[in-house]
Amino acid sequence: MTEQAYPDALQPHYRMHWYTIEKVLGQGGFGITYLARDTNLDQLVAIKEYLPVEVVARRPDSTVQSRSEGQRERYRWGLERFIQEARTLARFDHPNIVRVHSVFEFNGTAYMVMRFEEGENLGALLERRGTLPEKDLLRILLPILDGLELVHNAGFIHRDIKPDNIHIRADGSPVLLDFGSARHALGKSRTLTILVAPGYAPFEQYHSNSENQGPWTDIYGLGATCYRAIAGTQPLDAITRSKGILGSTREVLVPARSIGSGRYSGQLLASIDHALEFAEKDRPQTVSEWRRELLGETGAASATPAAAEKPAGATPQRAAPSVASTVVAPSALPPVPPQAVSEMHGAASVARQSMARSAWSGARVTVAWAIAGAAAGAIAIAVFLRSPPPDPTAEARIREIQAELNRTKERLDKDSKELDAKTKERMLALLAEQRKLEEERRRQEEQARLAEQKKQDEERRRMEEEKRKLAARSKPPTTPATKPPPQPEIATRPPPLVIPVVPDSSEAPPVVAVAKPRPDPQAEQLKRGEAALARREYENAREILTPLAEGGNARAQVRVAAMYESGQQGVKQDLFRSYIWYSLAARGGDTTAAAGRDRMAARLQPVQVSQADRVVENWRPR
Amino acid sequence: MASRVPMELSSRWHAGWCAVLAMVVAGCVAPTLDQRRDAVNSINKAFRADYEAILAEKGTKTFNVTRAEAYDAVRVSMARLGMTVEAQDPVLGYVNVYAPAPLPLNQQEWEEAAAADLPRTREIIGPHVGIFRHFFNFEPKGLESVISGTVVETAAGMEISFTARMREIAPPESGFPRREYLPPAAVRMALDKMWREVEREFKATYRRP
Repeated sequence: MTEQAYPDALQPHYRMHWYTIEKVLGQGGFGITYLARDTNLDQLVAIKEYLPVEVVARRPDSTVQSRSEGQRERYRWGLERFIQEARTLARFDHPNIVRVHSVFEFNGTAYMVMRFEEGENLGALLERRGTLPEKDLLRILLPILDGLELVHNAGFIHRDIKPDNIHIRADGSPVLLDFGSARHALGKSRTLTILVAPGYAPFEQYHSNSENQGPWTDIYGLGATCYRAIAGTQPLDAITRSKGILGSTREVLVPARSIGSGRYSGQLLASIDHALEFAEKDRPQTVSEWRRELLGETGAASATPAAAEKPAGATPQRAAPSVASTVVAPSALPPVPPQAVSEMHGAASVARQSMARSAWSGARVTVAWAIAGAAAGAIAIAVFLRSPPPDPTAEARIREIQAELNRTKERLDKDSKELDAKTKERMLALLAEQRKLEEERRRQEEQARLAEQKKQDEERRRMEEEKRKLAARSKPPTTPATKPPPQPEIATRPPPLVIPVVPDSSEAPPVVAVAKPRPDPQAEQLKRGEAALARREYENAREILTPLAEGGNARAQVRVAAMYESGQQGVKQDLFRSYIWYSLAARGGDTTAAAGRDRMAARLQPVQVSQADRVVENWRPR
Repeated sequence: MASRVPMELSSRWHAGWCAVLAMVVAGCVAPTLDQRRDAVNSINKAFRADYEAILAEKGTKTFNVTRAEAYDAVRVSMARLGMTVEAQDPVLGYVNVYAPAPLPLNQQEWEEAAAADLPRTREIIGPHVGIFRHFFNFEPKGLESVISGTVVETAAGMEISFTARMREIAPPESGFPRREYLPPAAVRMALDKMWREVEREFKATYRRP
């Protein structure tokens, strides 16, 4: 089971010092967590092994080795961070922070020994229950805040708070896990964009420098976790929010106060919205500050200077919609009122509800409105006829008030425009920086890929050369045709030392060499993806298989296409996308893919098929 | 008093018979399910031909922008038209959006498009349903517009293309089977509107030399 489901994992009964592996508890992109037994103390422990499969591979003797020379440095850097994290965590002894007993290096990697906690993680709990009532949510949140405060006070930040990193023990108490190991695992050369948890990471985490990060970064993660618990879905990711703020999309975060109204207390919802403020300075700056808001010990509106600067009546949670309403100006769209934002999200459901009504009930409503309108008109006429002539002094006063109101409105509009211009300017600068970093990352990855390819080519050439040498050595000496070699000599000659090596790709010619076959990283990834599919870990499988499919692996493309075809494997059914992936895989002559492509084509419009064919025709692997 | 009872009974009998007779006549004359299906098939056939011709004419455009710019513009312009992103894949250059019909057209635009297409549509179904063609109307209720946008990198630039279809989310009130293809005037109007948004997005966001 372990071998099939977790091909990279250590086998049960494997022993390291006085720990014996019992089974795998889980695997992520950066490591494997095992249930193990401490044979000295005869108690169960959880052991986390640092194993970023993207950069290292397990050898048959269980040791771990980087996949290439170029990745060795990245791996060492991540390994050091892993050990450092363990040392940091070991300093904290708090019931709501995962307890680290020890860390040691073994098998060329490192192992963190932790207390084994029975229970379930919050992500799984939310998956099962959808949302949590306020009482249950606070029962989890407040103890986590206590633990986190301890960590912050010691000068550390978690940086990866999300439901999957909060474990709920059997007695209901929560424990905070995984302190930043994921973020360090792939080394400093990767930008953090791909390492942050979308929806749970604030905008400042999408930048490589950590200058803007602090307790408010973790508070955003916790706020997002609470949002998930009350809304049933995670908040929009920070990049999408940034575009919403710039007005290049209408996607703005629907405030918790709109979503949870009537089901949760106002102070909880306002605190969540405050924690999810886009700009770090607008959020609560410390855990204690946020805890006071949650418990109603202080007003959320006056919690930060930024909030205090807002016009009277404004509350922190209004920030996102108010920004969204102003930034559409460049595209000359009318401002979107806060209500409209939630209306946009609810538009489809409202439309569906209205469609369910029968035509008859619609007619009745129309008649009722007509009667009501006629009655109102009659009353208005009667009031008009009976009312005394207008008082000129009162009218003048009304005009004055109206003029004053208009002046105030103009002033507010002007202030608001200035503020928005500043926000927009700042956001543009941040986005430009992000784009630059992405470009840099792409450039680095391209360079690494080229270097790797060059190295592989050299290796292949070397092996071919060796093969030629060996073949030449094993060839019988050239003799005149008239004088064939004596038969007995051939019969007694030992066979040549030739070991066939599995070629890297089907296009490569068969190679012979004395070298040991090198593991193919793609094949291993594919194996992992398929194992995840077999375990029905669809999300994990999709994460592993999609990059392979994008890289041109036909088998992965078929797997991804099948996921989109069925729509029951962690993705929404999408025949168009399924058709594209099947078609891409079919280009290499895969008959399963060709059958899938034809199946999808029958379910799409002919013009959609042509449209998808155009994508396939011009597509290049990443 | 004695003479009123028979009269009331008589008028009730009369009304009841009339109702039954009307139902029988309607049942005999009203188009059968097969006729309705044939009518809608005829509409689909005609609309499909128009739809493909319109797409060939204005379903694809090429722009001198980067792939990322083109992709963002498609996504953003669709959102501006009130469409919700259902699926997206930047690597493939694909975005799928949807919204309750008649979006991306507004009510007024939809009414104009429907008015333009209705006479021809009634003509198309006339041979199948006879006089009942006059009862045919477009029913955007219960339908969603689904638009697929793709961005393809070609030698001439970034090729953006759109296709659209209808998706049923509730059965029609009339009982007519659903159409799959959009009315041609609506397709033309929607495409014009979408391209205007895409071009506006390029102008607003990217100032290329």
